Amino acid sequence: MAEFIERAKFTCALGGALTTIAGINRAVPIVHAAGGCAAALSGTYNLAAGYRGTGYCGGTMIPTTNISENNIVFGGEERLEEQIENSLEILDADLYIVITGCQVEIIGDDAVGVARRFKDRNVIGASTPGFLGNTFKGYDAILKALVKDVITPSKVKDARTVNILGTVPGHDVFYRGNLDEIKRLLGTFGVKVNTFFGTGESVADIRGYGEAGLTILLSDQAGAETAKLLTEFHDIPSIKADLPIGPSGTKAFLFQVGEALGIDKEYIEAIIEKEERHYYSYLERIIDIYSDIDFQRYAVVAADSYYAYSLTRFLADDLGWIPFITSINDITEEEEQENYRRKFDSITSETRPKVLFKENAGELLKEVRNSWPYNHNQKYYDAFGPAFVVGSSIERGLAEKLGANFLSVAFPVSNRVVLNKSYAGFRGALTLVEDLISELVSAR
Amino acid sequence: MGSYADSLTYHYLGADAPPTREERIGACHAFCGSCGELAGGIKSGCAQLQNRKFAQSGGCQLTLAVGIVSSFTNVVMIIHSPLGCCSNFVGTGGLRKTMRASKGKPNEEFVWLHTNLDELDVVQGGIDKLRKAILYAEKEYHPEAIVIANGCVPGIIGDDVDSLAGELKDQITAKIVPVHCEGFKSKYVASGYDSAYHGVLRYLIEPPQKEWSTVPGGNEEKEAKDKYRISRTVNIFNVGSNSNGDEIELSRLLSAIGLIPKVLPLHASLDDLAHIGEAALNVSICATHDDYLLGHLKERFGTDYLIDTLPIGIRNTNQWLRKIAAYFHLEEETEKLIAFEVSELNKALEPFKQVLAGKKVFVGGGETRILTTAEFFYSLGMELTGVKAHNVDRFVEDILEDMNAPKLLIEVGAGQPAEELNLLKKLKPDLYIGHMNANGWVSKLGIPNFPLFGQSLNYMGYSGAFELARKAVKILKNTNFVKNVSANTSLPLKEDWYDRDPKENIKEAVNY
Repeated sequence: MAEFIERAKFTCALGGALTTIAGINRAVPIVHAAGGCAAALSGTYNLAAGYRGTGYCGGTMIPTTNISENNIVFGGEERLEEQIENSLEILDADLYIVITGCQVEIIGDDAVGVARRFKDRNVIGASTPGFLGNTFKGYDAILKALVKDVITPSKVKDARTVNILGTVPGHDVFYRGNLDEIKRLLGTFGVKVNTFFGTGESVADIRGYGEAGLTILLSDQAGAETAKLLTEFHDIPSIKADLPIGPSGTKAFLFQVGEALGIDKEYIEAIIEKEERHYYSYLERIIDIYSDIDFQRYAVVAADSYYAYSLTRFLADDLGWIPFITSINDITEEEEQENYRRKFDSITSETRPKVLFKENAGELLKEVRNSWPYNHNQKYYDAFGPAFVVGSSIERGLAEKLGANFLSVAFPVSNRVVLNKSYAGFRGALTLVEDLISELVSAR
Repeated sequence: MGSYADSLTYHYLGADAPPTREERIGACHAFCGSCGELAGGIKSGCAQLQNRKFAQSGGCQLTLAVGIVSSFTNVVMIIHSPLGCCSNFVGTGGLRKTMRASKGKPNEEFVWLHTNLDELDVVQGGIDKLRKAILYAEKEYHPEAIVIANGCVPGIIGDDVDSLAGELKDQITAKIVPVHCEGFKSKYVASGYDSAYHGVLRYLIEPPQKEWSTVPGGNEEKEAKDKYRISRTVNIFNVGSNSNGDEIELSRLLSAIGLIPKVLPLHASLDDLAHIGEAALNVSICATHDDYLLGHLKERFGTDYLIDTLPIGIRNTNQWLRKIAAYFHLEEETEKLIAFEVSELNKALEPFKQVLAGKKVFVGGGETRILTTAEFFYSLGMELTGVKAHNVDRFVEDILEDMNAPKLLIEVGAGQPAEELNLLKKLKPDLYIGHMNANGWVSKLGIPNFPLFGQSLNYMGYSGAFELARKAVKILKNTNFVKNVSANTSLPLKEDWYDRDPKENIKEAVNY
């Protein structure tokens, strides 16, 4: 059973469905729920994903059945049918996805069944009531519907085409930039990358995703159900990889994917060498200030499992910071926690981080304080610091209390604007270094 | 307008939850036509019984209710619902810091909890989880109050939050305040204000005990002083959409005629709320927000209240002041103040009038604010092309009449950008002033715009009128942003939708 959460860094399944649909070019949601759900939930990711905005048909533009007490008593399927019919008439889209809120699922409306009546007019449906769980549940519900109802089965597979899963639009605030960098990197091997949400991808492209030879799943918590369904329905195997951030992580990623695709190791090494040279040719700029002022920091990382390990690894293995505590907010199963914890064994810094699994945002401050020797006003005290918190906007208060510098990377990010920025790969890591070190010099 | 507010009675605090606005007041939320037709339709009751064939997402009463109660100092919010409800706190929680800073209040981290109801809870009920959340909030944060906002799921499955509050009341020091604001219950999102104030009235307004002096004659002296203070005190009821600048301006005007202004209840401490009864007059700046609170305060403390107009623009600021002055018999002082303020303001507005005269404007948002804002720009010589209201109820009957524009186009709907953009494309205003979440669409249509309200800009009173005019003129100094984005982004509405009459989308309904 799920527990209560202090300051959850999530919305519900319906919100997850909405942010996922908003990531697909010219796809429109039709929400069967009370009138306020769609705009409010869409608003969560419009603001807190680095001001991503409503996009093509988000926010108040979202068609919704706007059901009320009367429908709760008598059912709302008729109203849904009317709303779908009129949405098709008024809204211009390549795909319409009917999704549901708590109210109509509790009373037992069959919204997906109603959607099916319109299937020859590019309408599909998914059941997404908030009580199903968090954002990730909604992400998988939508992608599973795409796998079943949109992606065309194909016997012919292209061994050099991959599908990417696990990057949740908006929940990964930098999703488009990150996907573009992953596309660029794998493109250097001549691999075609399908991402659902990347620049230039359309619903017509998604229909052809059945031809891919491999799925790369970048998250432990989002996309696993979809990856399984891609295997069942379309016979596409999948591998699990970590989001590549920085030279160490990206090298591991490229070797892992290259091996799965049967790409010559020497070829991969040559590409990595070129990328790494490019990376360090830019990183060289900060060597002086980093060394003259000592910009090595104790790092406190607070993020979901998609970012937590990858960020920690980058800070420790590439940037040379001291990983102190990494707190992950989205894994509740003990066994999964243990599996995730083991990833950190390979971190190469002399000091390894303390890895915590905390859903309640407020608990991290206590954990940091309890993890460092208390100051008894002794003459010589090895204080905690200088420190840097890499987390979400919610950790800004934590950073203030610790006297640490702060950068928001994981959702929510409400204190800065994100456009095409990426933190993935070699190029993204340069941007991440820019943003981290800029925090340290911004008062100058 | 006083007449309609005066006709209402307030006796709802015996129940756990307030009635919805549909039940208590009745409102039109779907209409497209002229102001004259709408006024007639509301009188006959027909306008209230309309609905839409194609609907878009509007607001939820939960958001509005929580907007009120989460602003209080030293409270923890618990959202009793699945994770989505109030998940927008992750984006707006930081605004608390800026708002408090603008009022000179110390920074306070905003803490909220989700009970995170899941499928199992839908079957078994979520009360145990709520109990755990309340005890966690008490133990970790020691707030003065723990406010519980109840979402649709517990509303439908019937979680008894009030019994739990009663059970825990004597076990913890924080006051427990259930707020019943289930979204599905009302299409009139302003019901959320009543939901919030219902909880506030039932659980948070406890007048302090009288302190007795041991000094001979001390009690008499203190009572005489208190009595005088209270006889001059005016509570101004603020709203989430006003700025600190607005509060300073309205307070300045009341101070100028010798009254003692106090601004409540948003961002108040529980101590401020405890003293809410110590006023001679409670004054609303927006009927949509607070008639429920003011009405019940009258029942409780006997404090008279004034629900008239929103002090935006010259005419409505004058009227707001005159009504208050009449209550205290300060007409002479007030007329002097008005004459002085208006003459200075008019001089300052002169250059702006020259820019704005003849330009066309459209205003969308809350009923009281759009009508008063439209009136102000009309007074500057602009042409009104139309207005759009979230809802229209009888509180604005008089303002509508005072506008004296029965032919003016009015659309009623919360959100509903398809209808609004259809109208705007035909009307082609030079300037659009609209509610949050509407302006982005209007930018994509290529129409210069600015927000109808903002927490950092002064809109109310005489200084607000100047700022509004200044803002309009500033926006028109460079309209390239909307030109560029409209040429390079697309709206999801089909081309032939713009040829249709949005009236066709309104249908008769059988019930609210």
